[in-house]
Amino acid sequence: MLRVVLALCLFCSFYAVAQSDTTITLQAITGLQYDLARFAVKPNQKVTIVFKNEDDMAHNLVFTLPDKRLSVVEAAIKMGDKGQAANYVPASSGVLAASKILIPNTTEKLSFTVPSVEGVYPYVCTYPGHGYVMYGAMYVTTKPLPPLATDTNIPPSLHGLERVVSSPHPFPLEYPLLYRTFMPDCSPAAIAVALSPTHSYCFDAGKCYLRYAWTGGFVDNTDHWKGNGNALGKIQGTIYFKDKVTYPLRVGKPDKLPEVDFKGYQLAQRLPTFQYAVDGVEVRETLKSLPNDKGLTRTFSFAKPTVTSLFFVTDPTDGINYKSSVGIWKNGTLSIPKGTAKFVITMTTAQQNHSTTHNH
Amino acid sequence: MKRHFYLHKMVQYKWVWAFLFTQSLLHKITVCYAQRDTITNYYEVEHIELPKGLRAETGGMDFMPDGRLVACFHLGEVMTYHPKTKIWKKFAEGLHDPLGVVAISKTEILVMQRPELTRIKDTNADGVADVYETVTDDFGMSGNYHEFAFGPLKDKDGNLFIALNVASNGAGIRPEVRGQYDSLGRPGRMYSCVPYRGWVMKYNVKTKKLEPFASGFRSPNGLGFDAKGRLFVSDNQGDWRGTSPLYHVEKGKFYGHVSSLIWEDGFPDIDPLTLPVEKLDSMRTREVIAFPHTEIAHSVTQPLLDNTAGKFGPFAGQLFIGEMDYPRLVRLLMEEVGGQIQGACVAFGDGTGLLKGNNRLVFDKNGDLWIGHNDHGWVGDEGLSRIHWKGKVPLDIMAMNLTTDGFELTFSLPIDSKIASNPNLYKFQRYYYKYHQPYGSPKTDVADVSIKEVSVSPDGKKVSFKLAELKAGYVYDLKMGELKTLGGKLLMNRAIYYTLNKLKK
Repeated sequence: MLRVVLALCLFCSFYAVAQSDTTITLQAITGLQYDLARFAVKPNQKVTIVFKNEDDMAHNLVFTLPDKRLSVVEAAIKMGDKGQAANYVPASSGVLAASKILIPNTTEKLSFTVPSVEGVYPYVCTYPGHGYVMYGAMYVTTKPLPPLATDTNIPPSLHGLERVVSSPHPFPLEYPLLYRTFMPDCSPAAIAVALSPTHSYCFDAGKCYLRYAWTGGFVDNTDHWKGNGNALGKIQGTIYFKDKVTYPLRVGKPDKLPEVDFKGYQLAQRLPTFQYAVDGVEVRETLKSLPNDKGLTRTFSFAKPTVTSLFFVTDPTDGINYKSSVGIWKNGTLSIPKGTAKFVITMTTAQQNHSTTHNH
Repeated sequence: MKRHFYLHKMVQYKWVWAFLFTQSLLHKITVCYAQRDTITNYYEVEHIELPKGLRAETGGMDFMPDGRLVACFHLGEVMTYHPKTKIWKKFAEGLHDPLGVVAISKTEILVMQRPELTRIKDTNADGVADVYETVTDDFGMSGNYHEFAFGPLKDKDGNLFIALNVASNGAGIRPEVRGQYDSLGRPGRMYSCVPYRGWVMKYNVKTKKLEPFASGFRSPNGLGFDAKGRLFVSDNQGDWRGTSPLYHVEKGKFYGHVSSLIWEDGFPDIDPLTLPVEKLDSMRTREVIAFPHTEIAHSVTQPLLDNTAGKFGPFAGQLFIGEMDYPRLVRLLMEEVGGQIQGACVAFGDGTGLLKGNNRLVFDKNGDLWIGHNDHGWVGDEGLSRIHWKGKVPLDIMAMNLTTDGFELTFSLPIDSKIASNPNLYKFQRYYYKYHQPYGSPKTDVADVSIKEVSVSPDGKKVSFKLAELKAGYVYDLKMGELKTLGGKLLMNRAIYYTLNKLKK
């Protein structure tokens, strides 16, 4: 029990630190758009934006004061021939922060302190012609965001990111939502779970571990459900984590791949807890979303406290920062001592994480 | 989708004619039609109204002890339907192509879905399932779309039979498979490259293990018991299936589809397709009934015992089986000859307004037969229907028994023996379907069989035929003219097909 309390404390302190500053990765992607339609930060927070141009055209990234997007965009157009040299950033009091014009496959970091006044601060590409469609919204707030589908602060074309699809079933879609279906990069016994309309993962019911997770939507089974069923479910969104180690949870020795046995799952307010055995150790695992879809917590609990050492193996190149409520990390492998009844792995997407997490 | 209530086919005609003719003419036509004895005098079909948004590709149906129907559908939903209140409710969701359901209680069901047999329970009494326990997933999956999983069928001891489809060369396999891959099972039109594809399996409730039970299946979309608890499994026309068959399945036997042999204990390390057909033919157990393709069926589905003790009409103790491509069921008339089961099949439900895609069958407590339709990858139809017996006995064939020199038919009612004793009213033909690797088989060695003698029993209920020749290994196809009772009731089905595996001594 003490261990659990300790785990919770660690968990809390992690968030306390996380509130002090934040790093957000924003990409310019094909189709005159940013990969993030919006994100939220807190007043006075120090923010570092890692801006990547993944498109095949030049783009910049300009943060403006509330309601100043269009006037800044129009001012940039009026710069004419002189615009290029000034990165199409007009000398306007409406500009909060701005990157240079980035050619494809380049990255720029910009840091600034978020205003103290809560509000919706647009970000936009002021390259001539882009600014009318290529923009997003930085919410400076501590409150929940409005539904994506009706958010007038983001481009209408991105409302679909939330995939407000009409239900294919005789009942409305509710989240969390789960489909056993054929998924790519998984054994044929796959379970796709949407924690929310924008955050999903694929659990392998054959191999009993998390295969990958993504943001931006769930899975489109249309092709799988029609025709002969050979088509796989299509992932809607962007994968931010993919397991590279296979069978991360190991018993006795960190380098021994286990025998696994899938036992099913239980739903609590629709959220699944998977049950499986790893080399005979009965495990329950619940995955939850971190705030703002920044990653996952994975709570592992055991039918009885473990009688042998367990290991949770990660790959240092998978783009994730790991924390655990229990155990010691060494070279990306967590040792979980005997007698553990429960531990929590927090997986945070590395780019969006603050600098204080350890490991690898 | 037609979802009308067909009280009577005539009602439909009536509406059409109403636009074209005067009332008086209509009256004459209606009267004229009404005189002819049709199946709608005996059975009526109701099409169940579906909840909005349901794609009713029905994979399984059963009744809960409280009288609610529980049905599962292709998009993974499990729904309940209360026949009295006509209310549909969600019970479970998110399943992978569920193709069978067995109700355990009003809060618990078993579902066979593509990756596993699952026990699904509502433990917090909110009407929706919250526990999905894997009963068994101890079989392979290559990820090929054709690896459907059928069942479960629960025996009196609680053991559960399931049947596993083979894969199709219409597609390959996934980079990751479940179970031990064996390349020797990979060749062929339909293949078994992971364990126990093409097998009927038995989940033993005592040992909690899934045991291999019988091999040699292709697409066994239907499991059922007869009145004696004997297991029957249907299959579909295709490679090694000259026409769609029904098998009496016993432990350890091989039922002819070749790929699955590689998972036989002690089978040599060879591609089983390299064995000579004669060898395979000698290893296999033949079907108890071959359903002549296009004559009576294209794709038979689930066999179901009429255990209604007469609530569904005169066929108690017989088995019905569903059919995908025709708007009919098929009724099975089996007998034991020399210790082996064989028998005949006859149509049921033609002209009742039944839809196609008759994939799943279940009787309710009142003796109505519920049909779950499916058109997934087939001609078929979607939806649910209920067939209700109206209480009168139609003239139909109750039995076709092999004799030492011919056959004897038994009818549900005494027939007019003057008409029935005319030999020109009957035509016997025999043919067989080849056992071979190519898809299906033509009718082979087709020949008319002359009738040496016809006799009608004194009570008018039996007609016996002495035939010029009887040969084992053939289907005997009997087509009849219009037989009647003295009261003018007409024989409902005038074609019947007997699969003769064993001669009577």
